[in-house]
Amino acid sequence: MALADPWRSGGLFWDFGNALGFLALAGLLFQMIPGPRGTPRPHELLGYWVLAIACLHAFWFLAGDAVARFYLLPGGPLHMWLGLAGLLLLAGLSILARMPDRRRLHPSYRGFRRLHRHLALACLAATLLHVLLSGFYLPLWWQAAAPVAIALACAFGRRIWPRASAVPVAAWLGAGGGAVAVFVLMREVMP
Amino acid sequence: MKWLLAALFLAGVALVVTGLPMGQPLPERAARFGGSLAVLPMTFTHQSHFGKPCATCHHEFVDRTAGPPCMACHVTDQKVAPLLEAQFHGLCQSCHIDEHAAGRPSGPTRRCIACHLDDHAF
Repeated sequence: MALADPWRSGGLFWDFGNALGFLALAGLLFQMIPGPRGTPRPHELLGYWVLAIACLHAFWFLAGDAVARFYLLPGGPLHMWLGLAGLLLLAGLSILARMPDRRRLHPSYRGFRRLHRHLALACLAATLLHVLLSGFYLPLWWQAAAPVAIALACAFGRRIWPRASAVPVAAWLGAGGGAVAVFVLMREVMP
Repeated sequence: MKWLLAALFLAGVALVVTGLPMGQPLPERAARFGGSLAVLPMTFTHQSHFGKPCATCHHEFVDRTAGPPCMACHVTDQKVAPLLEAQFHGLCQSCHIDEHAAGRPSGPTRRCIACHLDDHAF
């Protein structure tokens, strides 16, 4: 979010809704970083929160702007369909990983891990393209390149990274809430 | 969890298909401005745009294509009509965003419903 042009504003309503979207993307990036072995619970909990924030981001616009729905009807722009795909993939990731359904679907843990990872990569790609192709907050090539580099590092750097300690949900929400406030205030108050 | 998500998904589909049940005007795509292309309503006032050079929007003043009102060509010309959304969003939003970034009164920058309202004078 700090990469975004600080003077570029879509208005309070739009900036707040998109700040929620950036918060969900940040959570998704955190989720791609390998955590310590044997502690799946923080990853699972954070996943639910990321899904909740992503849903809030979508409903914020649908419920608050009567015209936004036209972007999800036939003829809507590609980046909006990618956002919807990202949200559905995120929901699928959470549902398919939930016990005991996971055991019924995937007798092999290895098979589950492979599918979960591929779905997560597809979700991250769709979400990132949703942000980049919308072209509002990151209109310049270097602004777009930075989140792509961060996403690649989070998604594919796991073999060279040390296993990070799990991200506590409260810390993510606290830091994320602060970042959302800064994102909105610097656009609404500073100009 | 899955039932909650299913309910949320259905609520989202309902919002997209039917629009908001109350509280805001609900613009619809329809044939407007003398063309057959289904477009959303748009609102604009010259009054609130005084001070801007006319030729910023009125390209016909420069390329001498004066004729019917702007929208008549922009919704009927086969070359131009498919670009209507991109052209008008580009023209209006870019100026409003620049004005906001400069700290001047800018009007709406991104909120769709702020501009897509019926305006029979447009």
